[in-house]
Amino acid sequence: MGYQCPVCEKIWPDTMELARHVFGVGDQAHKDWVNSKGVNFIELLLLQTMEPGNKGYKALAEILEKEAKKVD
Amino acid sequence: MKKYSVINTPVHNIDGIAKITGRAKYTFDITLPRMLHGKILRSSYPHAEILHIDTSKAERLRGVKAVVTGKDTLGKKQGIWRRFKELCDEEILARDRVRYIGEPVAAVAAIDEDTAEQALDLIEVEYKPLPGVFEPLEAIKEGAPQLHEHAERNINVTRHIEWGDVDEGFKKADYVREDWFRCSSQAHVCMETHCAVADYTPEGKLTVYTSTQSHYYIKVLLAEILGLRENDVRVISRYTGGGFGSKFELDSAQFCSSLLSMKLCQPVKIVLTREEEFTATKRRTPMFYYVRSGIKKDGTFLAKEARVFTEGGAYTAMGATALYLTGFFQSFPYVWPSYRFDGYRVYTNTAPTSAMRGFGAPQATFCAETQIDLIADELGIDPIEIRRKNAMYPGYEVPGQATIQSCGLDQCLDKIDEWIKSRGKLPAHRGIGIAAYGFMSGGIFNWFDTPYAFSSAIVQINIDGKVDLYVGSQDMGQGSNTTMALICAEELGVKFEDIRLHMGDTENCPVDLGAWGSRETLMQGNAVKMAASKAKQQILEFAVAKLTPNIVYDLDIKDGCIHLIARPERGLSYYDVVKEAIRGKDGQPIIARGHYTPHRKGMISPAYSFGVQAVEADVDPDTGKITLKNCVTAHDCGQVINPLGVKGQLEGAIAMAAGYGFTEDLPMDEGKILNPNLVDYMLLRATEMPETTVMEVETYEPEGPFGAKEAGEGLTNPTAGALGNAVFHATGISIKNLPITPEKVLNALKEKKKK
Repeated sequence: MGYQCPVCEKIWPDTMELARHVFGVGDQAHKDWVNSKGVNFIELLLLQTMEPGNKGYKALAEILEKEAKKVD
Repeated sequence: MKKYSVINTPVHNIDGIAKITGRAKYTFDITLPRMLHGKILRSSYPHAEILHIDTSKAERLRGVKAVVTGKDTLGKKQGIWRRFKELCDEEILARDRVRYIGEPVAAVAAIDEDTAEQALDLIEVEYKPLPGVFEPLEAIKEGAPQLHEHAERNINVTRHIEWGDVDEGFKKADYVREDWFRCSSQAHVCMETHCAVADYTPEGKLTVYTSTQSHYYIKVLLAEILGLRENDVRVISRYTGGGFGSKFELDSAQFCSSLLSMKLCQPVKIVLTREEEFTATKRRTPMFYYVRSGIKKDGTFLAKEARVFTEGGAYTAMGATALYLTGFFQSFPYVWPSYRFDGYRVYTNTAPTSAMRGFGAPQATFCAETQIDLIADELGIDPIEIRRKNAMYPGYEVPGQATIQSCGLDQCLDKIDEWIKSRGKLPAHRGIGIAAYGFMSGGIFNWFDTPYAFSSAIVQINIDGKVDLYVGSQDMGQGSNTTMALICAEELGVKFEDIRLHMGDTENCPVDLGAWGSRETLMQGNAVKMAASKAKQQILEFAVAKLTPNIVYDLDIKDGCIHLIARPERGLSYYDVVKEAIRGKDGQPIIARGHYTPHRKGMISPAYSFGVQAVEADVDPDTGKITLKNCVTAHDCGQVINPLGVKGQLEGAIAMAAGYGFTEDLPMDEGKILNPNLVDYMLLRATEMPETTVMEVETYEPEGPFGAKEAGEGLTNPTAGALGNAVFHATGISIKNLPITPEKVLNALKEKKKK
């Protein structure tokens, strides 16, 4: 089973990997999708680096867990 | 019997005589008929809108031939990360907004430099100053002035690297240490400043003589920004007076001289002054690093987390690469079971930062190696042993990033350990610090988006047996011309003197991506070896009939003799066979091509150098002054091609890296560099150089030509860290803020006394 990127439809094994993909690509389309979920893309990125514990990625992964399409 | 006839024997540079007798023509020396001289007007504001530029008075000045501003350009933004359009963010001649002090706003061509300089004073630019932001940690704050529309909170590029379970690693650690570091900036200080002579003809052809590390990049970037076809631009760069990372992006001298020449159909020469070189070209990236490491009490590394904010300056330049490499090399050269890196490059209203020898790795190595000595000290482990316990080894795979094929790190540690022990008891206030390091042998990622092979070469064997070798690589003083000639001679079995090298001209040399990222020995070297091998094969096919081996592969050429490998005493003259071979090929010279592009070699590089450096230094407790006594390096660059070349690279690297460690800096006030001259910018001088020793550790790198890998940039990585550790062992204080100046040492000593 995998999770499909809601923007470019690439498939990743888990939502943490998918979150890394979303931040890693970071183009306008991916930014817009994150911002449309009631959070701020840049704020999440800054959260990741201002505090220890992978917080930014975990926060995005939680959103993706609910929002991303699960594929077999 | 010696394994090799040509390589691994010290030779002087192939172009050394031309250079020391003054015959070598650098761009600075080029003069063309009807040539004009150009000068560039630069912004005195760190951040401002350009409301209006009036050039009329300058144009009326006697002797002025043309003035150009942003309005004369196609308005295209350019950059070297061509695969990502958002990162191509620099216009070179600003049209409506300036973002750093020194950004070009106009250029003049006149009959001489003085007239051009006078004309600059007559150009009136009306600016509307905007608030500026100069530090990355300020620039990311909400409400900070935003430099580029596309970059919210001024975040330019981000990088995340992760493997293993970092959080679990920290849970298992007996000891966790965290430190903040600040790594300063540094100027390249090439002997030859950036310069170009552009010559555009009415036929629509542009020839640019320039000082560059990659004539191919400059050709493509100029064609793109000027709206020309790629092959209507010819770039010639026979000799380059130093690069160190500063000369493979398009610069203001190249662009403005081309623009002026296109306007006038006359050659225009622009040579940047030393002050412009300091203020208006790119520089080493300052970094603010947080490093947290989790260790077992026996010294085994378990988990590492690193976060960095880099001061990007006004534009992207090569900063995206520096960000990735600093993240990767923060873990080097050790086995970290889990690692997490988050890097942010932030736009600021300062001169752009970019590539500089080491490409982000010297900053990473300084932080990592400083912290390792602090950890070793607290755990009571010898600095050599903690490094040995966690050292990379041949066959180690950096998860998802790289595979280490050859690695002589353990032998390097042995040699340095032996040297330290030979020093015996040190006098008071003296310490020896070490740092281990590694570096790439050329990059894998095709961010320039070239359709060509990364390196190419052509070999032509002539009737007298002499060889014409055409390479696309650029010698900027590092000795790559000599390296290529040695590789070619070894593969063909001829003398070094039999090779005539052709380089530095896009019109008759094949494409190579240039001299950066320590790529030439491995990448261009592989292309040369392939071309020479194919040419050799053509000759051997003619020798088969006379020597009657079972198969052509039983033959080889060595020292000008074609012979059976099993019976080297039975042979034919290479020179005689070449004549016959050419006669047999319709009288055509023997020609062969070679190429190299890395593939299936991970994310970073096809091969890595390794080494350990020890710095011995005195610290004066009354003044804080540091005196370097010895700098000893054990270095694994695979098979050495030219021992003299490696020595030269090492000594140069120490001068540059020690300068970064304790004398050089670019302090600023609101974006203005305060020491843009060679009096106030404290380059390390000959009298401050320590005794240097290089101990070669030979390994065989399967991916490299004859087993060779890099020996250029990696050598700049360890020195700041080793120097800092020497100060730590001499005084008990650890400075985490580069450069390690006497003032910082003295203040830290006073603090220590208070405690």
